[in-house]
Amino acid sequence: MEQVRRGDMHAYQELVRRYQKKVFRVISTYVRDPEDAVEVLQDTLLKVYTARSTWEGGFSFAGWLYRIAINASIDRCRKSDRGQTSSLEEMMETQLHQSATVGPPRDPLDKLRDRERRRLLEGAVRRLPQRQREVVSLRFFGDLKLEEIAAVLGCPLGTVKSNLHKAVIGLKGMLLAQKGVLNYE
Amino acid sequence: MSDCDAIKEMLVLYADGALDPVETRRAAEHLTGCHDCRAEWAQIVRIREWLTDPELFEPVQDLTWQLLPEKLAGRVARLQSRRWTRLRFSKWALSAAALVALACGLIWTIRLRAPAPPAAQPALVAPGNEAFLDKVRTVYAREATSRYLAGCQGLLLDLACTEAKCNGDRYDVSLEVARARQLLEQKRMLDAELSVPDVARAKGLCDELERFLVHLSTAQTCETPVALHQMESLIEKEQLLLRIKVLQSGIS
Repeated sequence: MEQVRRGDMHAYQELVRRYQKKVFRVISTYVRDPEDAVEVLQDTLLKVYTARSTWEGGFSFAGWLYRIAINASIDRCRKSDRGQTSSLEEMMETQLHQSATVGPPRDPLDKLRDRERRRLLEGAVRRLPQRQREVVSLRFFGDLKLEEIAAVLGCPLGTVKSNLHKAVIGLKGMLLAQKGVLNYE
Repeated sequence: MSDCDAIKEMLVLYADGALDPVETRRAAEHLTGCHDCRAEWAQIVRIREWLTDPELFEPVQDLTWQLLPEKLAGRVARLQSRRWTRLRFSKWALSAAALVALACGLIWTIRLRAPAPPAAQPALVAPGNEAFLDKVRTVYAREATSRYLAGCQGLLLDLACTEAKCNGDRYDVSLEVARARQLLEQKRMLDAELSVPDVARAKGLCDELERFLVHLSTAQTCETPVALHQMESLIEKEQLLLRIKVLQSGIS
């Protein structure tokens, strides 16, 4: 990041390669449409460069980056109805319809189950309360430690742990309610 | 709260490795002997595995991830270019504005320090009245010159007719001296009028008479007959009385 702060474009491209997928996944917990999510991702990574001088060296760069991504995602959701989540049933139907239009996989049943499970989980994550969703996305998609998450969100470590517990238990409950998804494997 | 309930409250953090060593040991020991908690534990682990699935929340197109770094670098370069252009333009605009402001300030300062231009004097006379005023001035010059010449003429005649009134053979010229001094003052006032073309030709004679008056004004109140005779000779020699008469007929 120090090289990026000095305007090194090669370092900036390397930084984008390193974080683009993680940031995209964090953004996707807020923005459902993949194209919109990519736009938010680009805005986020551009802002990282244009606002690079505002990053304080003592603060986790990844935390700073995800904070920008979360704020941009929330802004996008407020501006567009497309950011709203739908029910698990609607998503299930959508995914089943999409799977019918995709080319034949090598193991059709397993591929379908995996895809359904992912889309159900994605929908469940999006339905979490905002703070729980932030903790889950930063922990599992952003690979931040709990202490770093507390710093990013500006809350005590105990609050982060509590929200992580509630989020995982909540996801388990939502998935259990969907035809025994947890028993797929 | 039963032991199982307490352990289940810790399982998420236990799976995350976020418990302290004492709690970690307690959870591990409980799980080895509790079937229900192990089932709960298995579900939590499965949820965590799914959450760490790299394909979760990931678009299918890998091309996006390959192109994005270069694409963003290009956008950054364009942003910098536009920013630099704006900066250069703003610098140029600022420089131009500064120059304009400087020029305005300079002009303002010069105007403040420069004497105020004379206000347009209202014409004292209308253009058509100038000829009339010239005539008035000419008439006044003629009259003044004529009066001066008449005064000199009378003085010269009186001087020639002066009778001896002083002791002995001396002649009393005190009145002539006094009149000479008055005529000198009159001549001084007349000099400005002698520039008028119609009376300009009288300037030579007037100046000659002035020199004579100066000589007379310095005379003693009782002059000797010789001194008086010299003055009369000068008048005759220079034909002052004749020239006065000729000039008067010319300017009147």
